[in-house]
This record gives sequence, structure tokens and C-alpha cells, in this order.
Amino acid sequence: MANPLLEVKGLTVSYGDVRALEDVSLEVEEGSIVALVGSNGAGKSTLLKAIAGLLHPSRGHMLFNAEELGRLSTKHRVDRGIVLVPEGRRLFQTLTVLENLRLGAYLPRARANFDESLERVFGLFPVLKERANGKAGLLSGGEQQMLAIARAVMAHPKLVMIDEASLGLSPILTRTIFELIVALNQQGTTVLMVEQNIHMALNICNRAYVMKTGNIVLSGTGEELLANVDVRKAYMGERGGKL
Amino acid sequence: MTSFIQVVINGIMLGSMYGIAAAGLSLIFGTMRVIYLAQGTTIVFFAFVTYWLFVKAGIDPYLCLLIVVPLAFLVGLFLFYTFFRKAAALEDKNVSLLIAVGLMYLIENAMLKVWSANPRGLDIPYADATIAGWGLRVAWVRVALLGLAVLSAFVVYLFLKRTRLGTAVRAAAEDMEATTLQGINSTWVCAISFAVGIGLAGVAGVGMATVYSFDYQFGFTFAIKALIALSLGGIGNVFGALAGGLILGVIENLTAYYISISWIEAASYGVFILVLIFLPQGLFGRREIVKKV
Repeated sequence: MANPLLEVKGLTVSYGDVRALEDVSLEVEEGSIVALVGSNGAGKSTLLKAIAGLLHPSRGHMLFNAEELGRLSTKHRVDRGIVLVPEGRRLFQTLTVLENLRLGAYLPRARANFDESLERVFGLFPVLKERANGKAGLLSGGEQQMLAIARAVMAHPKLVMIDEASLGLSPILTRTIFELIVALNQQGTTVLMVEQNIHMALNICNRAYVMKTGNIVLSGTGEELLANVDVRKAYMGERGGKL
Repeated sequence: MTSFIQVVINGIMLGSMYGIAAAGLSLIFGTMRVIYLAQGTTIVFFAFVTYWLFVKAGIDPYLCLLIVVPLAFLVGLFLFYTFFRKAAALEDKNVSLLIAVGLMYLIENAMLKVWSANPRGLDIPYADATIAGWGLRVAWVRVALLGLAVLSAFVVYLFLKRTRLGTAVRAAAEDMEATTLQGINSTWVCAISFAVGIGLAGVAGVGMATVYSFDYQFGFTFAIKALIALSLGGIGNVFGALAGGLILGVIENLTAYYISISWIEAASYGVFILVLIFLPQGLFGRREIVKKV
């Protein structure tokens, strides 16, 4: 089997004395959608931040295209194709939609593909084309999430990590965003997503990992986890269960 | 009426100095969230540099801009990487503020050593040339000062609005971590905005040398005035900072003319406190331009 696009091995991350991640391992196959699920404080966002280079692990390895990421800065990780859409979108609200997209394509490699990326983004999210010269802060919640993903796509990424895409969105908008994530994936971009809407996440993903208090406690395909009694009980409202 | 207009005009000319200084403070505060209290002293330093270039090399003060402004930019990069790079990354902004205060006294005392405590001023041959009409009279050097202020605000505005790096500066002012996530080296962005801020101090230093006599201690008051101008204009808007400076200059001159010179400082600080209490977003700042989602 080919090497996975991203391989995390035995990752441990601490905030001061507090262990946020303990010996976490996961694999993301090229071209797949991988979901990370689990309750608040399980360490999902921490894991994404560590992969993005915002946090440095005290132990463990991260391999991207079989290359060790080590202590590479975020800039170099973005340049290699790893981009994070952070929780809460974190758009530049006083800047226009187009300026946000330009910043997404800041590095030379991304800038060289600017026109092509912009076309791709406007194809996926036509509303952003209409709002191109409006301030990002004036977009609706759903549009802001689209822009956050679009900004990441502008970096010409191989792996897009999305932290809580559905946060604060209505069920209908969440469905729309999920459909867009699938469309993005079908264009060849690998997706690693953290999601609180576990049912929907498990429906679209190829593989999922369940995290609890800094550890991965379960993994499998989306269907397997959807069928798993413990997962259904812990996260989908059924009673009892061990997770 | 004529005297009123004259007083206002003089105020605008005085205020343009505050405006340039405030624009620099605004830029530095915007990205680093640090009040660079040494701004006034840095301006005086560049006024001394201009003085030297004029006295020792006989270079016209306006030509000095071509030397002083690039020099100031480099000094800005040097100061950032030497003193502020690590501190700016800290959550606690007091560290940077204290460094700025320390730096202010360091520069002051270095200037005292090099240039002594005597006030200096440039003996420019065309200092007395005035533009006059309708019973009003303004020295050309003061008009030039206003021109410099407007021009530099415009250049900074274009930099921020029209260049990739300038857009990154605005992004970093809003959200440093999100800027990093775009693959942008946010330390470099901070360094650039700091250096542009110090570059503006270079412009102000040349301006100060053309119009005022100055000494090594002149800077602190000046930094405070720039801070008042900034509070008037609102943070994060170059033209706002400039306008805040002009308004402060007018207030000071009106106070001096209609009340008494001794009330100038009281009027400035009174306005400062009133603005902070009642209009903390500044005269031009909108309370909320961003819709909460």
C-alpha cells in the first residue's frame, strides 16, 4: 500500500503541565475524507493545530508525503500543502472577500496558481463571487464558513483541515457546507475534519477517529462507526455505552 | 475673524506634526498592540540627524528626507529585531511597553551625550519666506510640513490598501494567528509595520527640524501629544490619526490665543480624557462595523 498523505505517530502535546494529547496516531490517505470526532476537550483542535505547526509536540512524529514535519513553521507547512481552517473561521472581517482570498494565496507557489484557484473557488462558492468586494464581516454565517474554506483552497493545498465547519450553522446550512466539502474532496483535495455533528461527519467520511481526553479510543470507516453501539450511545443520543 | 482663521491655520500646521507621529503610533499599535512611547524621542533623534546633515554636510533639510526616511526604516527594523521581536510575541504587552520606556530614556541620554542639552534649530535660508493673502500669513516651511504629513499619510494608505504586504499588515492587525495560518511570516509583518512607523518618525523628525527648535527632552511630551491625536482619530486609520493631530493642533492654538498659553497642556489632556470617556473609538471610528455572527 502507498504511504498515507499524512501520518501521525505517537504524538504527545502538552500545555504547560496539562497533557492535551497523549500518544496519538492516525493516518490520512490521499484523496480521502477523515473525520475526527469526540466530545469537547478531547484534543481534536489541539491535534489539528499541532499538524498546522501552531503547537509543537513534546513527543512523536508527523509525516507528510513520508517527510518528517519536525519543527517546520506554519509557513513551510502551508507551502507543502497543509492548510488549517480554524475553529470560528477567523476571517479578516474588515477586509474584503477578495482580499481574504488573496491572503490565502500569499505564498509564491499559491500565487502562481491564483487565477486557477480563484476560478475553482468561485465555481464551488458562487456567492463569494457576487460578494467579492464586500467586507468579509458582513457575510452571513454560512457564507463566512464558505469563505474560510475558500481561503484555504486558495493556498493550493493537498490537505485541508477543517475545525468545526458546522459550528453555529443551521442544519440546512450545515448540509450545504458538508456537500461543498464533499465536492472539494472530489476535486482531489484530501480533507481532515473535526466535527461535532458526528452523524453527518460519519456519513461523508471514508475513515473516522474517535477521541476522548487526549487519546484516540476508536477508529474505523464511517459506516463501521455509524453502526457501532458505543458510538451511537455516546454521541448520538442513545442511552448507555462505554465511551 | 481674520485672527481666528490665522489661529486655526497655525493650529493645523502645528497639528500636522502630531498627525505624522500619531500615524506611526497607530501602525505600530495596530499590529503589535504596543504603545511605542519612545516615538517622540525617536522623532527628536531624527531631527538631530537632520540637524547634523544640515550643519555638517550642508544638505537641504528637504533633501535630507531621502536619507533620513530610509535610515529611519532600517533603524526601525533594527529596533524591532533587537528589542521587540520576542516581547511582541508575548501575551503580556506590558513587557513591550516597558522596553519602549527604557528605550526612550536610553535614546534621550545618548542624545544628551552626543548633542548636549542645548536646544538646536536649523538656520534655513528660506525660513522666513511666507505665503500671504487676505490678511493671513503662513511660513512656507509650515505649509511644507502639512504637505509632508498629508503625503506620508497617503503613501502609507496606499501601502496598506494596494500592496500584498500592506494587506498582510491589516490582516495581522486583526488576527495574528489567522495571518500565520495563511503561510504568512507574521514576525516579518510586525517588523515591517514597526519599520514603517519609525519611517514616519523620520519624516516627522525632518519636519520638526525645519520648523521647531528642539532638545533631547522634547520627545516625551511629543509622544503624549501623538497619543492624544491617536485617541481623537481612532486606531487603525492613518487619515484618522492625521486628522486627530490636526484637530489637536487647532485646539492647542485656539486655547493659547483665546484663553492663555499656560492652558495649552490642560486643554490637550482635558480633551484626551473626555474623548477616552465618551468616544473611546475616536471621533471617526465607527462603534461596530462588523456584524456579529
